[in-house]
Amino acid sequence: MATAELSLKLQSGSGSKVRDFLNANLINILAAILFLLLAFFLLYPILAVLIKSVWGPDGFTAKYYYSFFSKKYYFQSLSNTLLLGMINTVVCLVVGFCLAYMTTRGPWILRKPLKIISLVPLIAPPYLFALSLIILFGRNGLVTRMFDLQWQLYGFTGVVISQTLAFIPLAFMMIESTLMSLNPNLEESAYDMGASEATILRTITIPLLAPGLLKAALLIFVMTIAEFGNAAILAGRTPFLAPDTYTMITGESDFNMGSVLSVVLIAPCILIFFVHNVLLEGKKFTTIGGKPVASEPRKITPLIKVPFMIVTIVAAGAIFICFAVVVASSFYKILGVTNKFIFSNYLDFTSNQAIYNSIRVSFVAAVIGAIIGVLLSYVIVRGKFFGRTFIEMVSLSGFALPGTVLGIGYLLAFSAPPLKLTGGIMILALNCVFRFLAVGVEAGISKLHQIHIEIEEASADLGASFLTTFFRIVLPIMFPAFIAGFIYTFMTAIVSLSAVVFLVSPGFQLAAVKIFDSAVYGEIGIASATTVKLILIVMLCMAILNFISKKTKVGSSMSRKGVA
Amino acid sequence: MKAKFIAVIIAAIFSVALTGTALGQDINAYMGTSPDNNAKIAKFIKDKTGITVNQTFQSFGEIEARVKAEAPNFNADMIIGCGSSTGFLAKKNGWSIPYASAAWKGVPDVFVDPQGNWYNIANFSFVLVGNKDRLAKAGHKMPESWKDLLDPKWKGEIIQPSPLSSGTANMMRFSFLALYGDVEGWNFIEALDKNIAYYTRSGNAPTDLVGRGEFMLGLTSDENVKKRLDDGYPLLWSIPKEGTGYDGTFALILKGTKKLEACKKIIDLLGGQEFSNLMAEIGYVTPRPAPNKLYGKTLPRYIKLDLGKAAEDKDKNNDLWKRKLRTDFK
Repeated sequence: MATAELSLKLQSGSGSKVRDFLNANLINILAAILFLLLAFFLLYPILAVLIKSVWGPDGFTAKYYYSFFSKKYYFQSLSNTLLLGMINTVVCLVVGFCLAYMTTRGPWILRKPLKIISLVPLIAPPYLFALSLIILFGRNGLVTRMFDLQWQLYGFTGVVISQTLAFIPLAFMMIESTLMSLNPNLEESAYDMGASEATILRTITIPLLAPGLLKAALLIFVMTIAEFGNAAILAGRTPFLAPDTYTMITGESDFNMGSVLSVVLIAPCILIFFVHNVLLEGKKFTTIGGKPVASEPRKITPLIKVPFMIVTIVAAGAIFICFAVVVASSFYKILGVTNKFIFSNYLDFTSNQAIYNSIRVSFVAAVIGAIIGVLLSYVIVRGKFFGRTFIEMVSLSGFALPGTVLGIGYLLAFSAPPLKLTGGIMILALNCVFRFLAVGVEAGISKLHQIHIEIEEASADLGASFLTTFFRIVLPIMFPAFIAGFIYTFMTAIVSLSAVVFLVSPGFQLAAVKIFDSAVYGEIGIASATTVKLILIVMLCMAILNFISKKTKVGSSMSRKGVA
Repeated sequence: MKAKFIAVIIAAIFSVALTGTALGQDINAYMGTSPDNNAKIAKFIKDKTGITVNQTFQSFGEIEARVKAEAPNFNADMIIGCGSSTGFLAKKNGWSIPYASAAWKGVPDVFVDPQGNWYNIANFSFVLVGNKDRLAKAGHKMPESWKDLLDPKWKGEIIQPSPLSSGTANMMRFSFLALYGDVEGWNFIEALDKNIAYYTRSGNAPTDLVGRGEFMLGLTSDENVKKRLDDGYPLLWSIPKEGTGYDGTFALILKGTKKLEACKKIIDLLGGQEFSNLMAEIGYVTPRPAPNKLYGKTLPRYIKLDLGKAAEDKDKNNDLWKRKLRTDFK
């Protein structure tokens, strides 16, 4: 609408035809470019995986699928994976909700420490918990020995526990931000009118949170079934799809069967993605981009408080202990075997190099990702062209794409000339950009829904060109969405293993992969030290970012102006 | 104004991050020995030639998979450390650049390809490791024959690498098949499977897991046992009376490299006495005689092997292995 009116206004005036054309069509041109990018870097690799799964050396064949569905081993693998995904999602949501409830509604004194404990592991690679669990609860672990316990950590239980601990922080982060953007007035008025805490929770908080919870559930499910670090270390003989896919590609170089396994992994994700979209139809009142509001602590009835507290303390305690083990083992030669204090784990040169590479890749990915995210959300919301919904669906599909799929897809699509991208920084960065695009796009969409198009129209009426309007009005308003996309891409890119593990090449070792290799190999000291270094450096990066955006007030003041 | 300033800063960091800095001469290599040994070898090369070797850690099996997948557009200039099967495969398919190095004169023929397609920089074997404390507590002794491993008392207490990803495990498999013959060999592998807790990705991992006492016994590659003993793991190691197998650690130059001269320099360096000394110090059996840190003067008894046939049978045996050992994998 904006562009249509804009072009009318300008045509009635006197401008060069080229400028008119540009002003009228810039958004369409932009959309076309973005669509090409999406098609090339997101759809094409997925298509490559699909094709590989049905295209053997002798042309089209269904034999790979036949072999998958006729073997009980794969069926076992699939059902283990789905079961793991479901258990994890439910537990993470419950625990994440309790934690988030405590940090936003609970007593002041608990809020900060709980928040720190829940958020720090976000920057640590998820499979770190597998290491801690082995040191503590392995067959010869510290705790196992102390109490002479008889249990089997290696198997389904071990994977579920480590995976759950690993994804609680993500659940917490997403639920907390939706809780924060919920206006506490509703709950407080209910409370003032005498509603019990349980009633408020049941009738106000949870229904309002539903979209946020659903989104968190989707993300966690997809991440859990695709991140294979914990399963590779702790699964023992229990088969799971993601580590099987990994061995299929990296060990046996059977790309056909590997593609089949990935396609099977996509199917449940896509299904859940659609269910989630249908459920959310017309219910988009809160999203990640919302404005945080702190709410005063209320008196919570013991009936709610006690179980919430128990869950919170158990979860936060477990995360804290696992983390303490990591920090401790980074200073010991071999924690639990020879407890000699050393510092040399921190001086390991290759891990420094890997961290440096990781930060470079994540930074490049975050910048490109945030820019593309903002532009995409703009064309999706303001554009009026054929295929708009399709673009929206494709750019949000990242939520439902297991990492292994895009990893293998990139390997298949970009490893031979003329499209040879493998063996460099760009393939890693682009992979992260398109995998994590969805969050930036969504934040952008929700920001744009908050500002009325009248502002842009007013600008156009006053004679500003499309570009001027875009740069002076739209961009400043969308700065928070840019930051959201940037931070999410940066943080997830730095720890995620499932896709990049297929794409690293000599000279481009990444920290996540380095930590995984050291862990698998048994260099737990180096793995732990690398993690601690990584966390410190990432925290420093975030602090600088925070400082810059606060100092300049670009984000907040501009958007306030925009909304006012 | 400030927004512009920030934009400029971000753009500057962005471009630096994208280009990075490359100082001095460097090559990319796939290196399949342990992360530790990779680092030692890379440091040796850097010290002697000034060439920086960029590498990622992968197991032998993974390097072979990777080279197969990438051919003929490799993302590395050379391989320093892959199994013999990869070396034979590269020669057969023309993936390697033959180079007749004068520096390897005087090394026994088995370590050098006649056309110079590959060079074997060190032999390694597999050994049995046990956890001293756990064995003592259970009152068990280290087995003296491979067949002793079939005793039900070891159920769930033995760990070994998976031949799907590890070259060491592949070596174990072809060694047992050579020792017992095809039929008996597979019977042995299947019977042993009943006692194996699970199969690890890397051929070295069992040493660590047994050292930690997670499992009592492990079948593992020998090259890092020495280091783990020095680190203080309570480990016992032995080679059962039937002997052990062996495989080479091959180095070769990959087709398409733009740094052929640097690669040749490295190949030359690897043929020298000094490099053999370094590898023997780690625990390898080397092309040029050097005092071995693990075995001392007497080398272990070896099972008679045909590495060429083992390389040819690898895919077939992987398939058999999956069909025989995986639950309901029919």
